[in-house]
Amino acid sequence: MINITIDNKIVSVPKGTNIFKAAKDNGIYIPGLCYHPKLTQYGGCRLCMVEVTERGRARHRFSCAQPVAEGMIVKTKTPETQKYTKSVMEYLLAHHPLDCPTCDKSGECGLQEVTHDLKLQTGRFKSVRLDQPMKRDNPLLEYNSNRCILCSRCVKVCKEIAGVAAIDYQHRGFKTVIGTAFDKPLDCSFCGGCVSVCPTGSWQDRTLKFRARPWELKKTPTICSYCAIGCSLVVNSKNNEVMRITAEENLELGVNEGNLCVKGKFGHEFINSDKRIQTPLIKKNGKLRPASWEDALEHIAKKFSKIINDHGGSAIGGIGSEKCTNEDNYLFQKFCRAVLGTNNIDNISNMKSPSLNRLINNAVVYGMASTSLEGIENADTVFFVGADISEAHPVLGSMVRKAIRFNKAKVIIANTRNVEFGSEARNLLRLNYKLGTQTALINAMIKVVVDEKLVDLKKVADKTENFNELCSSLNTSEIDIKKISGTTNIPEDSIRAAASSIAKAGNCYVICGKDIQEDPSGEETIEALMNLCALINKGDNDKVSIVFSRENNNSQGVNDMGVVPGFLPGYLDIEDQENRDAIEELWDVKLSADLLANNSGDIFDLAVKKKIKAFYVMGENPIVNYPNGKKVNEAFKKAEFVVVQDSFLTETAQLADVVLPSSTYVEKGGTFTNMVMTVQRLHKAISQVGDSKPDWQIICNLAEKMGHEFEYTTSKDIVDEIGVSVPIYEGIEVNRLRRKGFHWILSLYYKTKAAVYRFEVASKKTNAITSNKKYPFILLTGSSLRHQGTYSRNSESLISLASECFVEINRKDAKKADIVNGDNIKIESAQGKLKLKAKTTGRVPEGAVFISENYEWVPVNTLRGNGYTNVKISKTK
Amino acid sequence: MGKRKKQTVTEEAIDLSKAEEILDKYEGVQGALIPVLQKIQYEYGYLQEETVNLVAERMEISASEIIGVATFYSQFRLEPRGVHMVKVCCGTACHVKGANKITQEFTNKLNVAVGSTTEDNMFTLEEVACLGACSLAPIITIDGNVHGNMAPGGVGNIIQETGDHGKSK
Ligand code: SF4
Ligand code: SF4
Ligand code: SF4
Ligand code: FES
Ligand code: FES
Repeated sequence: MINITIDNKIVSVPKGTNIFKAAKDNGIYIPGLCYHPKLTQYGGCRLCMVEVTERGRARHRFSCAQPVAEGMIVKTKTPETQKYTKSVMEYLLAHHPLDCPTCDKSGECGLQEVTHDLKLQTGRFKSVRLDQPMKRDNPLLEYNSNRCILCSRCVKVCKEIAGVAAIDYQHRGFKTVIGTAFDKPLDCSFCGGCVSVCPTGSWQDRTLKFRARPWELKKTPTICSYCAIGCSLVVNSKNNEVMRITAEENLELGVNEGNLCVKGKFGHEFINSDKRIQTPLIKKNGKLRPASWEDALEHIAKKFSKIINDHGGSAIGGIGSEKCTNEDNYLFQKFCRAVLGTNNIDNISNMKSPSLNRLINNAVVYGMASTSLEGIENADTVFFVGADISEAHPVLGSMVRKAIRFNKAKVIIANTRNVEFGSEARNLLRLNYKLGTQTALINAMIKVVVDEKLVDLKKVADKTENFNELCSSLNTSEIDIKKISGTTNIPEDSIRAAASSIAKAGNCYVICGKDIQEDPSGEETIEALMNLCALINKGDNDKVSIVFSRENNNSQGVNDMGVVPGFLPGYLDIEDQENRDAIEELWDVKLSADLLANNSGDIFDLAVKKKIKAFYVMGENPIVNYPNGKKVNEAFKKAEFVVVQDSFLTETAQLADVVLPSSTYVEKGGTFTNMVMTVQRLHKAISQVGDSKPDWQIICNLAEKMGHEFEYTTSKDIVDEIGVSVPIYEGIEVNRLRRKGFHWILSLYYKTKAAVYRFEVASKKTNAITSNKKYPFILLTGSSLRHQGTYSRNSESLISLASECFVEINRKDAKKADIVNGDNIKIESAQGKLKLKAKTTGRVPEGAVFISENYEWVPVNTLRGNGYTNVKISKTK
Repeated sequence: MGKRKKQTVTEEAIDLSKAEEILDKYEGVQGALIPVLQKIQYEYGYLQEETVNLVAERMEISASEIIGVATFYSQFRLEPRGVHMVKVCCGTACHVKGANKITQEFTNKLNVAVGSTTEDNMFTLEEVACLGACSLAPIITIDGNVHGNMAPGGVGNIIQETGDHGKSK
């Protein structure tokens, strides 16, 4: 720490801090509009001049450009500095339109603030204005160059944080503006970083649309409800309506340093959308009609009781939600198990990759699972395996860019698609494997590490089990680098380079994504990946951490809470009598004797076989989100009674007999668990829309109707119970969560020692890809930056930004089939067909087509069966 | 300055092979953006979208950054230039000797503003700072050839001569 004196106050700050930040962090104000702590320093606005005295000599310095030194004496306000700053402002204001009354920034504007602080009067200069028209070339952002002071923050955020560099200074001198090449409409990732950092009203958030002045807005910090990063964001509301989302100003809070992505920043309009379900609905004569809560709950209770009576509780299937809170999900499984008496409950993420819970749990037990996302910023190597970071988890991309900027981190991307990753990194290593060869690729990397002795193999042998078996499995003719280089289609050198980068000294993060997790051979690939990580960790001091990049905001939590058939909350094996006894005691119930009956196959299979007669669905739309569309449709058709709890009338809700309106994340408290098991707290920002209720409350009411007391008055009561009954959440306390979160892995690592690693030697499996003459293409699916499920679908501005889901086809394949961008394409599989517009690209490999799963109105799942899906494509009208 | 090829203003897809060659030469060279743009401009006459996008892709610099650089330096052009480049010096010496009258005459005769190109794409008119031949002031250059001691009356002739030459090409 360095001690300096600023305006007679002694402050102590870390070495390398500049004076500006040192002052700001200690509550001392220095004017300054270009410096931003998360961006590289620029020193362009010239407002932050201070007087610095060192070794008896006083000099003038720009405080944002001057690092602190021991014993420095800083004066922020001397007659000289004031005079200087005032004259700089005079120039800035001479060009400024001063149209504050019609500027959305007014009230939170940096320029206003400095003007006010300096008590400036009309300047000496004749004002010269650019008078350029406002630029509105996209639905989310507008740019007014007249108000721009050319501070460069937006340019930097776009390049350094978003990795896009869509905007830059254009022209020079007086004519300089911020803009795009050739003045084209803005085409970027629309993270909104520019609006967030702009100190003036140049960039504006169009979702606000002049509906509120900044001082009228109530600001509630909470957690994003789209992806599993769990960014902190601030809900800005007025009269119980969400007006806009802003980023957290205190960069220390939350995982995201105030960075957001397009969905988190602009995808809020669903909350107050007029498409929200306002009241409960009961189906009469095939039509859903508004009903009272009383009638709806009564109706459900009766039906459920009858089904339990006639067929037993296991005839009801429950589907929990990756979007709902931990509390909602905890009560949901408790209700299903204790009240309905069924263990036929599940969630879509578990159904998509059934082995993932076990594998993640192994990663935790072996001490390899990462405990924080922020740590990625200190990585020296980042290895993306089947993770499409720019589309699925954009803010994670910003963290990796930070690692690149500060640590010169090496980035390795293994994917069958040439996924996008924008950065200044020139040393990106791509391993574009042929689909189906991913396990072989990882095994080849293991072989390189072992053969080239990149780590201390003796240590590995000492500290692990089964290492010899692993080694002998590597010595088969199957695992030959040259051969694998041929089958994977990756140069030998790249495989070797990747292996040695990961084994090299320094922190390494392995980010295992959906493209691996949901692949039919996912289990085997992840096991190989864990072998690789264990090999390096044991041979070289735990430097590799694995992150499983879960898809939705609470994909982790829904599993933690035990909304799966195999586990009670906290991954306690339900088959184990002891675990069942313990939960019976905690819940003070007797679990039904046939709880585990029918407990095989996924619940849609059971419904197809008519073993399940009714569904209770909370916050999920399986009709389009479950991979196998044909099966799920059949399952719901066969069900006699369906209850859906949702905020919107989704495809699944439309099939329901009773629909219950649930509140969204801004209307309730609770917690979400992100992809590295950080439990973060939500804060209620507005009161419930329409007649909706939080999911947990609906469950309580329903339980009561069915004769069980679920006595929880707030979501906090449920957290307290979770803290007792879910071992991994032991010690969680709502009030201590504040906004720092509770890291359950970390607390587990404190309590228990990592288990001895046992190498899994995968039995050789042949890959499941079969070529098919009739359907020559493989269908690849994945995430999309601009959409994710029901929420984005009902957010108007996101829809106008991205209204169309394309089928992406490799340029060469397109050329052969005479397909150009925008052609209508029919995609057919053995299961079904779909019509979409074509987009030709170099990102999808030849022989494959790609369709995003996140455009909820496009039922990609109608094409899919189990395993890989073969399709054919043809031009149509 | 060497001879410049006549540019076509048709919408035909442009041949990027020259640009590729230039980029190949600078592959992996740090800070090569400006020389690359100079060479491309020399080859194609100006920086058009297709070539800029290619540079962006190959050098991993966004198009907006490239145009940011290109619009900062006056040497780069984003619009096609005429077959003939007229540069009127307006350095101090030339200014004193009436360079502005020369410019005026060119704008009148060619019906074109400084910095732009005639409608028939034959002439581009530019003003430049001191060309370093003040003893011949006022001077102009056409396609790199110096014409000293210019008088407004001579402008018409020079245009005529150059234009005929251009047409016969
Ligand atoms: S940017 Fe600031 S100073 Fe300028 S018009 Fe808007 S509020 Fe006023
Ligand atoms: S638009 Fe805003 S952030 Fe960007 S340079 Fe101008 S004032 Fe700064
Ligand atoms: S969707 Fe994910 S990356 Fe985007 S703001 Fe929300 S949590 Fe952050
Ligand atoms: S804040 Fe220091 S120069 Fe702008
Ligand atoms: S001023 Fe024209 S040549 Fe010097």
